Amino acid sequence: MSEATVQNRAPAGADAPRSIYLPEPATLVDVRPMTKQEKFFRFQMARAEGMKYMPGQFAEISLPGIGECPISISSSPTRNGDGSFEMVIRSAGAVTAALHRLSPGDRVGVRGPFGTHFPVEDEFRGKDLVFICGGIGLVPVRSAIHYVLDQRDDYRKITVLFGARSPEERLFIGELYDLKTRKDVFFQETVDVADPTWGGNVGVITTLMPQLRLEADRTVVIICGPPIMYKFVLLELRKLQVANRNIYVSLERHMKCGVGKCGHCQINGLYACQDGPVFRYADISSVREAI
Amino acid sequence: MRKPRIGIFDFACCEGCQLQIVNLEEEILDLLGVVTPVEWREAMSDQAEKGESFDIALVEGSITREEDAERLREIRARAKFLIALGACATIGGVNKLKNNFGMNDVKETVYGEAADMPHLETMPTKALHEVVQVDYMVHGCPIEAAELAHVVRTLLAGKTPTLPAYPVCVECKLKENACRFEFGEICLGPITRAGCGARCPSEGSWCFGCRGLVDDPNTQAAREVMAHYGKTIDDLRGKMLLFNSK
Amino acid sequence: MTVRVVPRAALDAWVNDLVQRQKVYGVQLKEERFAFGPLVRAADLRLDYDVTLLPPKKYFLPQREVLSRFDRFKVEFEPVLADEPFVLLGVHPYDFEAIRQLDAIFSRNHPDAHYLTRRRNATIVVSDVETPSQDVFAACMGTATADCMDGWDVLLTRIADATYAVEARTEKGTALVGQIQGTKGAGEADLEQRRAVWDRNRDVLKKHQLRMNPEDLPDLLARSYDHPVWEEKAALCYSCGSCNLVCPTCYCFDVADELHWDLQTGERTRHWDGCMLEKFAEVAGGHNFRGGKAARYRHRYYRKGKWIHDLTGDIACVGCGRCISACTAKIANPVEVFNRLMEATS
Repeated sequence: MSEATVQNRAPAGADAPRSIYLPEPATLVDVRPMTKQEKFFRFQMARAEGMKYMPGQFAEISLPGIGECPISISSSPTRNGDGSFEMVIRSAGAVTAALHRLSPGDRVGVRGPFGTHFPVEDEFRGKDLVFICGGIGLVPVRSAIHYVLDQRDDYRKITVLFGARSPEERLFIGELYDLKTRKDVFFQETVDVADPTWGGNVGVITTLMPQLRLEADRTVVIICGPPIMYKFVLLELRKLQVANRNIYVSLERHMKCGVGKCGHCQINGLYACQDGPVFRYADISSVREAI
Repeated sequence: MRKPRIGIFDFACCEGCQLQIVNLEEEILDLLGVVTPVEWREAMSDQAEKGESFDIALVEGSITREEDAERLREIRARAKFLIALGACATIGGVNKLKNNFGMNDVKETVYGEAADMPHLETMPTKALHEVVQVDYMVHGCPIEAAELAHVVRTLLAGKTPTLPAYPVCVECKLKENACRFEFGEICLGPITRAGCGARCPSEGSWCFGCRGLVDDPNTQAAREVMAHYGKTIDDLRGKMLLFNSK
Repeated sequence: MTVRVVPRAALDAWVNDLVQRQKVYGVQLKEERFAFGPLVRAADLRLDYDVTLLPPKKYFLPQREVLSRFDRFKVEFEPVLADEPFVLLGVHPYDFEAIRQLDAIFSRNHPDAHYLTRRRNATIVVSDVETPSQDVFAACMGTATADCMDGWDVLLTRIADATYAVEARTEKGTALVGQIQGTKGAGEADLEQRRAVWDRNRDVLKKHQLRMNPEDLPDLLARSYDHPVWEEKAALCYSCGSCNLVCPTCYCFDVADELHWDLQTGERTRHWDGCMLEKFAEVAGGHNFRGGKAARYRHRYYRKGKWIHDLTGDIACVGCGRCISACTAKIANPVEVFNRLMEATS
């Protein structure tokens, strides 16, 4: 054992500094399978005021003995009157695999929310909004989509483009159907590779973009997807003459500590956990490691 | 909850890694508190029924005969999770020294006139993963008992442990050791997988490379780096033969 | 406080007394090199050391430290903060500057209680360099002497064979120096000798010569992103992280959970990590955002000369030269790299 371990004692007194790495208790209230890899979770914080967050933020979820990992919040604060929050978690590592084994009533540790959020109350207001999501990129963006739909009158035209690798990897199938049938949303989706059940578009997400009719000066575009997707979507947006200042991206990195210290999520000089994960593209278009 | 059943097996090796388990001393009681050993030739009198399955198989030693390969496949079929234990099992280790020679020469050197006896048949050494699927490797010659303990606890908590992807230099720096290269030695630390806590350099010796190479060793660098220290690439290759023969 | 003069024998007597009463870490011999370690007697203290293998950062951000204790089934975490006061004896000015920089990092924006608690418990005795190390270039980085630095508690300068000048700058430092028996006020000649030590150190602590002002580094790096030196040097890189691990201003870390044998209780621990290690920027699922050696190599230099500067205004290289010595492949000399960039762009 290190010297540090032996000598550690919690300091007494009311002004004892609080560790920023200490998870707070929360309870899993609902869990449902979504795809082969992803499950849907709803958590409730133990603290009375619940989770206070904005669309696009993330939280660190802990299972003691296994570890901690950053997960995007997928629900909108407009729909969490009870203070709970939703996540979609892909089983991709030790912690997420263990999270997949949880049942309602099980407890987890939570730190957060962390990071920047989509400016749903600022730059988005009064604008045409185009959400472009690939795969689990839909997860953080869903929070913003719900948010703007719940305050529909504050925004103009709303467009959602969604691309999945295959039909069986589509997330929130019921909600995708709702978006498709809503009169006040233009929704298109595609899959990279179809299967016999699929009657819709086939092709990568950029194949949906030529049909967009944008008024570039009053449109805000939101992009979230796998690393490879951004470059190609941004190229298409340039053709559509959308200015970089009107584009928002949510970027994935390994946001280990969430508080701009551990260094894992650094994108050149920026910390995805503090300066992001939501960036205005104009602010990072010259940041070489970003896209 | 039913305690996970564990089997411990050995092939061509010195059984030093099993000895390391015994060397857990008081902690061996902790280990026995969380698992039930069902087969362990070195430490148990009662052995499991043939064909009985277990949750974790710890397998020590290299495969050097076809009947060994067959027995390993049978163990694999009975085990949910198979852990290779120690350098002989994980990388072939010292047993692979013989792969530098023809098998007939090897037999004659070792057995002399008896070399042709059928029970002395041998084949080039293989590590376990060259014969069956291995779920985790506890590297080292011998293994670090504390690492095995950590691996077992981690598995029982429902998590597959992560093998260090970085070289021994990391642990050497954390231990605040002086670099062996500064003493004119060739140390395999920069290309050898960590996990031992820089055991040998911490005792004032160069790293022998018993945990095998990191995933992406910079072999391109080796020639120039050796030259910087007034050594040749063959000096380095010579050091690597002991544990990292092909 | 005014400067006092103390004979080595009196200093030793004080150290021998101090180690009885409180935790003291001082520089001692280790395998023909030097390292900070728990001090048990004055005779082991080597104020004439050149450089320590690891910087004294390890007392504020230990190689491994417990952040919390947990119960896996109750899902409860109890914070662990180190609260034992200690004296750190013989910190060189460049290492003190690094500690000051880490103070800024760990105090800003989400203060880190684990670091800050340790830091508050420390009394730091800086000592001027007596023996230059083989790769030191502190004089190029403005960190050769501590006279212009703020925040140290005590400064110790060897002004003659067995005589030290001692100055306290803080309350803690004054209290500590007050315990030394047999000091006398420094005369003008003593102060002159101390200035001579500083002048000498500003002159000799440059075994490598940086051909620019450190303040020029952020701009230099801003125009050097595609310079061939990154690929060239990184071709020899072992990705062993040695340069990160010995660096007094590196502070990247990883966190891991360790279970006890009851499989219920355990500890969440923090460990040093390094941006030069292959998996550092990898995410779950396997995508590595800095998968190439050259990208990692460049990132480290940008951390030292630009990214940290963008964050706090500090140039995060203090010229200790540890990375130069520690790099097996001999590619980690910041002076060589920065000079090379300068050639190309001036």
